[in-house]
Formats: sequence, structure tokens, C-alpha cells
Amino acid sequence: MPLPAVLLSAKRMSAHQFVALTLANLRMIIRDRVLHGVLGVAGVMLVLVPAFSSFSMRQSQEVAISLSLSAISLVLMVLTLLLGTSSIWRDIERRYTASIMTLPVSRVIYLLGKFAAMALFLLICAVILTAAGSLVVLLAATQYPSDLPISWGTIALAVLADLVKYLLLGGIAILLSTVSTSFFLPFFGTLAIYLAGSASQEVFEYVSGQFGQEIPALSLAAIKGTYYLLPNFAAFNFKVHAVYALQVQPGSVVFACIYAATYTGLLLILAAWSFNRRAL
Amino acid sequence: MKFRLLFGILLLAHALLLPHLSERLKQRSVEVKLGYIPHPQILKVSVADHSLPVAEAAVMKVLFYFGTLVEKFQENIVIRPEYLNMYRTLETAILLDPYNMDGYYFAQAAFTWEVGRVKEVNRLLEIGVENRQWDYWLPFYIGFNRAYFLKDFAGAAPYMKLAAERSGDPLFAKLAARYFYESKQTDLGLLFLDTIIAQTKDKAIKATYEMRRAALLMVTALEKGVAAYRSARGSNPERIEDLVTEGLIPEVPVDPYGGNFYLDSDGRVRTTSKLAEQPK
Amino acid sequence: MNPISIEGLTKVYRDKKRRRVTALQGLDLQIEAGEVFGFLGPNGAGKSTTIKTLVGQIQSTAGCAKLFGIAAGDPRARRRIGYLPENPSFYDFLTAKEYLSLVGRCFGMDRSAIERESERVLELVDLHPAAKRKIQGYSKGMVQRLGLAQTLLHDPDLFILDEPMSGLDPLGRALVKQVMIDLRRRGKTIFFSTHVTADVEAVCDRVAVLVGGKLQTVNRVSELLEKGIEGYVIQLPSATAGLWSDFEARPQSDDVCEVFVPRGKFNSFMAIAGREGVEVQLIEPRRRSIEQFFLEIVRRETE
Repeated sequence: MPLPAVLLSAKRMSAHQFVALTLANLRMIIRDRVLHGVLGVAGVMLVLVPAFSSFSMRQSQEVAISLSLSAISLVLMVLTLLLGTSSIWRDIERRYTASIMTLPVSRVIYLLGKFAAMALFLLICAVILTAAGSLVVLLAATQYPSDLPISWGTIALAVLADLVKYLLLGGIAILLSTVSTSFFLPFFGTLAIYLAGSASQEVFEYVSGQFGQEIPALSLAAIKGTYYLLPNFAAFNFKVHAVYALQVQPGSVVFACIYAATYTGLLLILAAWSFNRRAL
Repeated sequence: MKFRLLFGILLLAHALLLPHLSERLKQRSVEVKLGYIPHPQILKVSVADHSLPVAEAAVMKVLFYFGTLVEKFQENIVIRPEYLNMYRTLETAILLDPYNMDGYYFAQAAFTWEVGRVKEVNRLLEIGVENRQWDYWLPFYIGFNRAYFLKDFAGAAPYMKLAAERSGDPLFAKLAARYFYESKQTDLGLLFLDTIIAQTKDKAIKATYEMRRAALLMVTALEKGVAAYRSARGSNPERIEDLVTEGLIPEVPVDPYGGNFYLDSDGRVRTTSKLAEQPK
Repeated sequence: MNPISIEGLTKVYRDKKRRRVTALQGLDLQIEAGEVFGFLGPNGAGKSTTIKTLVGQIQSTAGCAKLFGIAAGDPRARRRIGYLPENPSFYDFLTAKEYLSLVGRCFGMDRSAIERESERVLELVDLHPAAKRKIQGYSKGMVQRLGLAQTLLHDPDLFILDEPMSGLDPLGRALVKQVMIDLRRRGKTIFFSTHVTADVEAVCDRVAVLVGGKLQTVNRVSELLEKGIEGYVIQLPSATAGLWSDFEARPQSDDVCEVFVPRGKFNSFMAIAGREGVEVQLIEPRRRSIEQFFLEIVRRETE
């Protein structure tokens, strides 16, 4: 019997392995009870949106959109944190790597498979949640007629930008989980970077203004250095545009996408290096 | 068996306690607090991408607090409102989300008539005019505030014009024209209240506006009576009760703000309640 | 090109207190095609370190290991091997069928081959009834058998099995032994670690003994068994008992007595027996077992 393994080119074989591992990891995610719970909570949050938005005096529709977008963003963040921070170290701890990594699979492919499965799952969740959120917004919009139209395109864009943002965050989580042996560093590290990266633009603008002249040059340089090092999540926030149907500049969307692609790429390469050096 | 018995006893005790629980909670002391909200700068960097719902939540907090105050007032319980804290919270909300209409709307409703902080309110509204470029209500509010409270008719005119331009609604053009020529304060106020009550659905705010409207209607009726008295007798009535004896009004109305109407030496209608307090 | 070629393999790691610990020191080993090679050693001898290096789980400090001429650690080196980890842990949220499908895809097999071969190997290790259940619910023995099945799926040329018998009941052990014997007959190479000497005796062509990270000996099992013969236990009619005063003799029953003849004296015994016309009822070689051989080496090294 001829061995198919020997006949396949290395590239095609890597592609096969990547697909197979992505699907297997997707199965792992979909069969995880914790994530079912998170999605259940997401459903409850969305169901409550019309109730909350009815408290608004003048902008029920806007409040419904902003609450839905925030709920989606929050759920995607929790999912990213759970998935990303429990990836590599946990596979090593559960000794999955001792079985999978001894197949003719390179560690890079393994890592990419994990990332792709996470990305795919987040995408599926984003699509489902956006569909549910849209229904909720439609329902809430009837409560008080708004002067503004509902800009579905911008809403979709806002969710998509969030998704891209969380893929970047997932890259950080995976990088940290390749160096860690437990839950703590990846989870709290990723959370801290998320919060810092969400705030960095505000802080940067603050210290760039008048306040910046009062602090020592060295601290200022440290703050600015950190600002450029940290992922800048403010670049992915199109929620105001979606809620108030404002015009989005195409340039800023393109910029955000390229920024996320380069940053995530760098993170994954670092993760691959770190994982390659690791003893399993 | 013992455990079952114990469980039964506890369950019975619990069921007996439940009705008392809600009774007791109903009789809690009437202290109502708005609570503390962090500095907008700090809030901005700590809420990640959820600034819109957080801003809305801040507005809601003020609104609910205000709602309880109105309720207590109607029950004749007087609580000194935390106006400064309310204003700060609203300002924080607006700095977090400069598009938030609820914030502007509430500022206009709560801080002009009752507290007379017109300049501060206008300063907030300016932010709204700048950001909500489609919105005609905000220039309308500013224009009204300038004309009615500050007697700055020249300053009000461009805002009324802006409102008319933005809305394309002849109502605002008409209002603008009236504002230029109308100097009768009470009529001006009534006109504004009629416009705004038609657009209000929040109960607490509607109640305050309607109370104000009722009071202004009484003042209008009294002013008309004084005018009729003057044209008939050629002099001002000495006391307000003279209008009743002359059959010009059926009775002296009761000031909803708890004061007594009287006439000053110039025959102007006055009251001992804070309704008469002129905006500072 | 040998299936396994190890030269000067050394692994030094640091323990939690940052002290250097030598797990493996200058190991040289060549495994030839078609042989069943037993890797014997007490716990902590460095067997797992060697195997983990071979399958790319850890990197060596010095020296090199190659599989079919490709450096261990390169994923391509693992294309022609089937590896069974010690106490394996598989993606337990998958069913056995799904897991084998994943393994097959990773070896580049096509769908129909995966379907056909997974049926075959599941049948072989007697897991067919549980094939569509999640691995989570498997017993330890079932997981071990699935582990064996996944090594067989793509019909590799080299099998690396880390403690393949551990966690198995007697039936399972017999199954594994049978599978190994069948593979040897088909010319496959098997490299397996164990600390059970009986397994080595039963299936191995050659055996290496590793103690304290150092290779002690490499022997043919047949030679060891032959060299280990100390003498013969011979059963004879009781009537002849008087003839064997030079030997240890003791009556076995009324009719039979048993005599132990050391290896060097066998010819002189046979001369007497031939001369006297004694009817020899049974001759059994008495040998030092591999276990004794192994224990001696371990004792010598640890002293």
C-alpha cells in the first residue's frame, strides 16, 4: 500500500494539517460548556436592551444601538480572554501537545490552527450576536422615533472592527500563553494590556497637551514609548459613528485593518518563536 | 428525617418572613442619594470602549434620582437636591459621550427653571450644538435660554436661526420671529413649555414641566385680570383679591410651588414661592 | 539509513533551584530496519528524555538524533513514524473516530484512506464499539489502545512506543504483544521503552539498558538468553541416583530424581549417562533471566 503521507508536498500537507487542526480546535471550543454559558449571558443581555433603552428620554434607538454594541463587544472580549488565555499552556498541561505535536505537525501550524479556530469562533459569534442585536435595535427603535436613521452598514463595521480588535487581543493572549505554565500570566496580562491599550490614546492626548509640560521629560518619554508599544485599541472604536449614524472615513477603517494585521502578525511570529523553543 | 424536618421548619419561617420583608423595605428612610461619579478623565480611560453606555448610565442615575425627588416633593417631603453633584454627573456624561441627547435634554430640564444655572447649561449645550450637527433642539434650547432667562434677545437670534435652518420646520422660524419681537416673558415661557411637553415622555420631567406650565398659566390669567381691571378702573388693583370681587377671576389660584400670589406696588403679579425667583 | 540514529545525545536541564541536572549523557544508539528494540531502564534513567527528543518534544543540549536521516525535531522526520506516548492524553472532546480522522489528516491521508484504515485499526485494538463515543469517557486501557491504533493508522515504518504495556490488563498486554509480533513479521522497526523485562524477552531482537542517563549495554536478546545458561536440570529414574554423586541431586518423586548439571560439566554427565545407558527423561536449561541481568547492571551502576 503506497503511503499517501510521502506523496504529498510539504506545502499541501501543511495546508491539510492547518485545516484539520483548526476544525478540531473549533470542535473543542464549540463543545466547551463555559462558552455556552457566556453566550447564554450574552443572549440575556441583548434581551434586556429594549427594557433599558426605554428609560432614555430622547434617544431610545441610540441607546439600544450603543447597548447592543457594548454587549457584543463585552462578550467578544470575554470569549477572547477565555479562549486565548487558556490555549497553549493548557494544551501542554493536559498533554494534548504530547500527542498532537508528535504527529508530523510543525509547532507553527499548531499555533496557527489554534488562532484560526479562535478567530472562526469569534466570527461566528459576532455574526449571530449582530443578527440578534439588530432585531433588538429594531424593536427598541419603535419606542421613540429618532431624528437619526439606523445606519446598518456602520453598525456592521463597528462590530467587524471590534472583531479585528479582539483578534489582536487574542494574539496577545496566545503569545502570553506560550510562555506561561498557568492561567495567571496570560489572563491578567492580557486583561491589563486590554485596559491599557483601550486607554492609551486618552492618556497620550492628555500628556501631549498642557499637562504634559508639567511632568519630567523622562516620564513623558516612558509614557510615549509605552503608548507606541501597546496596541492602540482606540483605532478600532467606531461605536459613536454607528450609534449616531456619523460618516466613517474609509481611510481610518483601512488604517485600523492594516494596523491590526501587522500587529497580530508580529504577535503570532513571536508566539511561534517562543513556542518553538519550549520543551513540552 | 431530621434534616427534612429542619428544612420544612426553615422553609415555613422563610415564607412567613417574606411579606414583612417588602413591608419593611417600603418603610425605609427617605434619604435619597445620587452617589459619586469618578472624574471624567479617569472614567474615560477606565471604561475601555464602553463610554457610550456608561455616559447613558450616568444620565439615568441623575434621572432616577431626580424622579424620586419629584415623587417625594409631590408627597410633600422636601429633600434638598444635590444640584451640584447632579450637574457634575451630567457634565461627566456629556464629556464621555458628547452626542448624548439625554444628557443635554436633562440639563435643560433640570437646571434652568429650577436652579437658574442657565449659563452653565448653555455651556454644555454648546458642546452638543457642535457635535450633534443635525440636531435643531439644542440651538433652540440655547436660543430660548438666552432670550427668556438672560434677556439676551440679540444673542438668542442666531441660535433660533440655526434651529430653523437645521430643522427646516416652519415652527422654528415662527418661534424665531416671535422671539425677536415678543417681550412678554410669560407667553414666551408658555410657548416653550407647550413645544417641549409635546415631545416629552419621561414622567418625572413631564411632571416638572407641567407644574411649571400650570403656574405660568395662572400668572397669565392673573396678569390678564390686572390688565382688565386697569382698563376698567384706570388704576391698578391694590390686592389680588380685588380681581375676585370685581368678578374678573373666579378665585385666587393656589401656587403649585406652595407660595401665595400677591401684587406688588406696580401691580405686577408676584408670589412668595420660588416660582418667583428670577434666574440668576 | 537507519530508522533511528542517535549520536552523542546529551540533555542537561535546570531544576527548579536552577541546578544543572544531566538527564542524558552522550548516548549513541543505532536502530536498524526491521528490528524490535527494547529500551530498558529504571525510572528516571533517561528513557523518556531520549524518546521525547526523538519525537521533537524537547531539544537536546548536545549531539544529534535522526529519524530516517532527518534531524529529530523537524516535523518531516515524524512522517514515517507512529508514536505512542506514555500515558497518552488525546483531544478528549473528540470521539475516537474523529481523533483518528484528525491524525490521518495530519499525516496527509485522504478521506477514503482514513475511513478504511480507521475501521481497520479500531477493529484491531477492539475499540470499534466505542468509536463514536467521546474519549473523555474512556477507561485508561481504552485510551492506551486508541493510542496504539493511532500509531497504526498510516502504516508507518518505524514505531516508537513509550511504555506500551502500561495501564493495560492482561488481555490488553497480549494484544499489544501480538500486534508487535505481527509488525515485526511485516518488517517494521519498533523502538520501545519499558521497565518490564518479561516484555523484552517476549518480543525483542535487541535490548539496551540505560541507567542514570548513560547507556550501559546493548545486547541481542537471543545471545543474552544463550549466554545466560548456567546449567541443566535433568530428570532421571530414581534407580540411577547413585551414579550422580558429583552433582547436586535430589529425589523428585518415588521414581524420578532431579540432577542439576552445570554448563561446563554437561559433557562429562552425558559421558556417564551414555556409558551406563541411563534413560534421560527430561533436560531443561536453567538460565539467568533478563531480569537478573538487568538488576545486576542497575546494582553495579548505582553502587
